Amino acid sequence: MGLLDATAHAFALLFSGDAALWHIVWVSLKTSILGLLFATPPAVLLGYLIAMHRFPGRRVAVWLAQAALSLPTVLIGLLLYLLLSRRGPMGGLEWLFSQPGIVLGQMVIGLPVLLAFTLAAVQALDPRYAETALAHGASRWRVMTTVLHEARYGVMAAVISGFGRVISEVGCALMVGGNIEGQTRTITTAIALETSKGEFAQGIALGIVLVSIALLMNGALVLLQGEAHSAGARL
Amino acid sequence: MNATVNATVNLKPSAPLLSLRTLRKAYGERHLFDIERLDIEAGGAYVLTGANGTGKSTLLRMLGGLERCDGCQVELEGKRMPLYPYPTLLRRAVVYVHQHPIMFSTSVGHNIAYGLLARGMNGHAARPLVEEAMEWAGVAHLRHSDPARLSGGEKQRVALARARVLQPRLLLLDEPTANLDGAAREQVIKLIPTLLEQGRSVVMACHDRDLIGLPGVRRFKLRDGRLETR
Repeated sequence: MGLLDATAHAFALLFSGDAALWHIVWVSLKTSILGLLFATPPAVLLGYLIAMHRFPGRRVAVWLAQAALSLPTVLIGLLLYLLLSRRGPMGGLEWLFSQPGIVLGQMVIGLPVLLAFTLAAVQALDPRYAETALAHGASRWRVMTTVLHEARYGVMAAVISGFGRVISEVGCALMVGGNIEGQTRTITTAIALETSKGEFAQGIALGIVLVSIALLMNGALVLLQGEAHSAGARL
Repeated sequence: MNATVNATVNLKPSAPLLSLRTLRKAYGERHLFDIERLDIEAGGAYVLTGANGTGKSTLLRMLGGLERCDGCQVELEGKRMPLYPYPTLLRRAVVYVHQHPIMFSTSVGHNIAYGLLARGMNGHAARPLVEEAMEWAGVAHLRHSDPARLSGGEKQRVALARARVLQPRLLLLDEPTANLDGAAREQVIKLIPTLLEQGRSVVMACHDRDLIGLPGVRRFKLRDGRLETR
């Protein structure tokens, strides 16, 4: 099958409402969004705390957070595989080759992205925001919500970047999820499988979906950043 | 040359509001200041002068709980306590306003209500206080405005209203007229004496001759790490 034929077939699959294909998209979106939902609160909290406080080992914490960004997802997959396998310390959960296992993997992959970007966004914010909140009697919690509100464009960028990272990764989802049809097959694992079989149509169709999601998410980010820049231009 | 602004401080000093002891600040080997004692009377107005880099802002930030101060002691209305960690009692009594006040990216009205809401007051109860503060500062027409669009003078008046609405015992103003000129500066200078209502004390770090020369204002000068009283 040539590239043109495969592409035509891919569009036919997309617009015919192919159930298997859209189920794969659904599993990808569901696991990525859930993983991100679980990762966001602790990552944002940690990013904020590291950015706002001086403590022994802070530089090591920043270094580790940034280094974690470049951890290969396949290595995270291997570690989780060992943890979740029947003889592993988390084997009792029976999450290996299941959607909860993928969600856990997406959470672990997304957390450093969210943390590092939130840390950078809060660090870049004028310290007078926190000082003004404090000077007007805000509690620590209120200072945090005020600072995060002021750094919201950076935090949103963190969430969108985190989503981009988790939905596009293949190594962890393949190792922890097992690429089981109808259960743990995600967009990326399906593309890898179909390509290895020489069946390009579904791979191209899923690729189009993935690129569309990436374009939508980054379009939203550009819109948000545009709003932030125009607000800044008024200062 | 600064234009003369007619404003009078109605000075009615009474018992000391705050007595501070051993205010020391050093950056490594460099000693910024070493002040044995500083008394601030209730209803007193003070200006803190001194050359750039003598530590005026640092001292104000220390009094406002924004700067660490190891070993410093404070006595608030007879109760003695360390200045660091900053006591809750002081947090309720003292408000510090930056030289270039920062505005939260909400609205002018919300900025002024910020401290009231942060201290647990509900929006309904805060509304009349915020309205009164906006009227006082002459910014009522800006209540729904985006603070990012305000001029420097408007921001300073909003910041003063935001601090005043909390009815603090002591207001710390860091260069309240810095970078303001003309009508904006005069409007701010005219507001300063009215801040002393209800026995409130004000300490300002400044270089502005019109503020320094306001009748009834006492002067501290930081020189060579010591505080001189004028």
